[in-house]
Amino acid sequence: MVGLSIGEKHFIQGGIAQDLRSDGRKRLTTRPIYVETGVISQANGSARVRMGATDVIASVKAELGRPNALQPDKGKVVVNVDCSPTAAPMFEGRGGEELSAELSVALQCCLLGGKSGSGAGIDLSSLVVVEGKICWDLYIDGLVVSSDGNLLDALGAAIKAALSNTGIPKVNVAAGASGDEQPEVDVSDEEFLQFDTSRVPVIVTLTKVGRHYIVDATSEEESQMSSAVSISINRQGHICGLTKRGGAGLDPSIILDMISVAKTVSEQLINTLDSHIAAAEAGEEES
Amino acid sequence: MAGKGGATPSTYSPSPTTQKTKSLSFGNDEVLRPDDREWHQCRPAFFQIGVVAAAAGSAYADFGSTKVIVSVFGPRESKKAMMYSDIGRLNCNVSYTNFATPVRGQAYDLGSDHKEFSSMLHKALEGATILETFPKTTVDVFALVLESGGSDLPVVISCASLALADAGIMMYDLVTSVSVSCLGKNLVLDPTLEEESYQDGSLILTCMPSRDEVTQLTITGEWSTPKINEGMKICTDACSKFSQIMKSCLKGLDSALEEEDSNVD
Repeated sequence: MVGLSIGEKHFIQGGIAQDLRSDGRKRLTTRPIYVETGVISQANGSARVRMGATDVIASVKAELGRPNALQPDKGKVVVNVDCSPTAAPMFEGRGGEELSAELSVALQCCLLGGKSGSGAGIDLSSLVVVEGKICWDLYIDGLVVSSDGNLLDALGAAIKAALSNTGIPKVNVAAGASGDEQPEVDVSDEEFLQFDTSRVPVIVTLTKVGRHYIVDATSEEESQMSSAVSISINRQGHICGLTKRGGAGLDPSIILDMISVAKTVSEQLINTLDSHIAAAEAGEEES
Repeated sequence: MAGKGGATPSTYSPSPTTQKTKSLSFGNDEVLRPDDREWHQCRPAFFQIGVVAAAAGSAYADFGSTKVIVSVFGPRESKKAMMYSDIGRLNCNVSYTNFATPVRGQAYDLGSDHKEFSSMLHKALEGATILETFPKTTVDVFALVLESGGSDLPVVISCASLALADAGIMMYDLVTSVSVSCLGKNLVLDPTLEEESYQDGSLILTCMPSRDEVTQLTITGEWSTPKINEGMKICTDACSKFSQIMKSCLKGLDSALEEEDSNVD
């Protein structure tokens, strides 16, 4: 973890209390965000997002598979996050496993919504090719290249960018297959369907340090946190998921206050992110 | 529809899809829930402590058909490989029996739910336990879901805090947990497995009622802010009622063990 002296700890805590953080930001200011799309040519869609020294890559791969017997009209989405030991020595071996699992679960919960599929960022029924027989399995992989706090928000943003970069190949189903036979399909190499990402939420993590909370915490600030609440919010301002980290308890009224603050922050974040994604996509097409 | 034959399992299994016709009734306000409860009513709760002789502390809880047993071992010396820590560690593990689910072993087939539960249980308890009181040592919390009847995780959390208390581990307060499901326009307190299978969203709230502090909150699905408000209110009310039952269970008052009327309204 981050090793800080008592003086440094006081400096960080005192700065946050006075609304001036060590990198000159205010409590509710985020670091500048950089988005690059199409960074991995092997994947159907990919993006790299940088926020300060935090650097993450998300890739989306689509494979044809069979739908679950219980949900024949839905495709499948698997979210997996990998914390590379190149980011921090503590991620080596099994060290990153716990963090990876926590991030994957949080992202899965944000993207897939409730069990009935309402509130999902990704519309699972759009992934079905032939009901009950063929569907697209989306494998979303996140990779933490460099870690300086606020990983969940960065990964959320990267996945959103990667999904808007994703082209799902058009599939032509050969007619004539009947009964239990698996129909033959022809996957097009040229025609791609764009993925609808307007419903994909962004994640805003509010980290509580002392009596105040901050957005986009660096790892130094995170080491001083008592608890953190990650809220995913979509464009309509609806909450799509919420998880809490850190041991300390919170008063219910503070949580509600955090939710309303997160909403305001998310509006800006969605707009910035969308314009960055659009710029990145345009830049990619030119080159 | 002839093509659908390949997708249905060849053997009978009471899967949620076979019961889906019932979900239609949830849109209607007058219809009660499958077990005749009101929307904001919990299942009758039962707690018992000291059920495992070998453990330092243990508790059994049943909420309707959800049955859970939690044993606490320790504090014992942390493993040598672990780094020195001047506060204690909690080691939490949630597992399911093979017969816990309608289809045998289903809990393990449907992804690694129990692994996620273990970390959620840990997060829910660590804020309430005074870890400073057992430095360099580890306390093991093992939870076993005997029967999964919905709201498994909240029951596990409440039961685990009772087991910790039974083991004499210092805590700030008992931890109680309740979930609400969002079914259409309605918020349903303490959902059953059947209700959970077609919920639009869920909210699990874990709190320390006497301190009015939320130690863990997880929301899935799409929620508006007023709905979150309402959901949290329902949960905190139910939590404080559960803590009364749990306290009387610890004191050994049998009379208050059974709770029939936990209607929040």
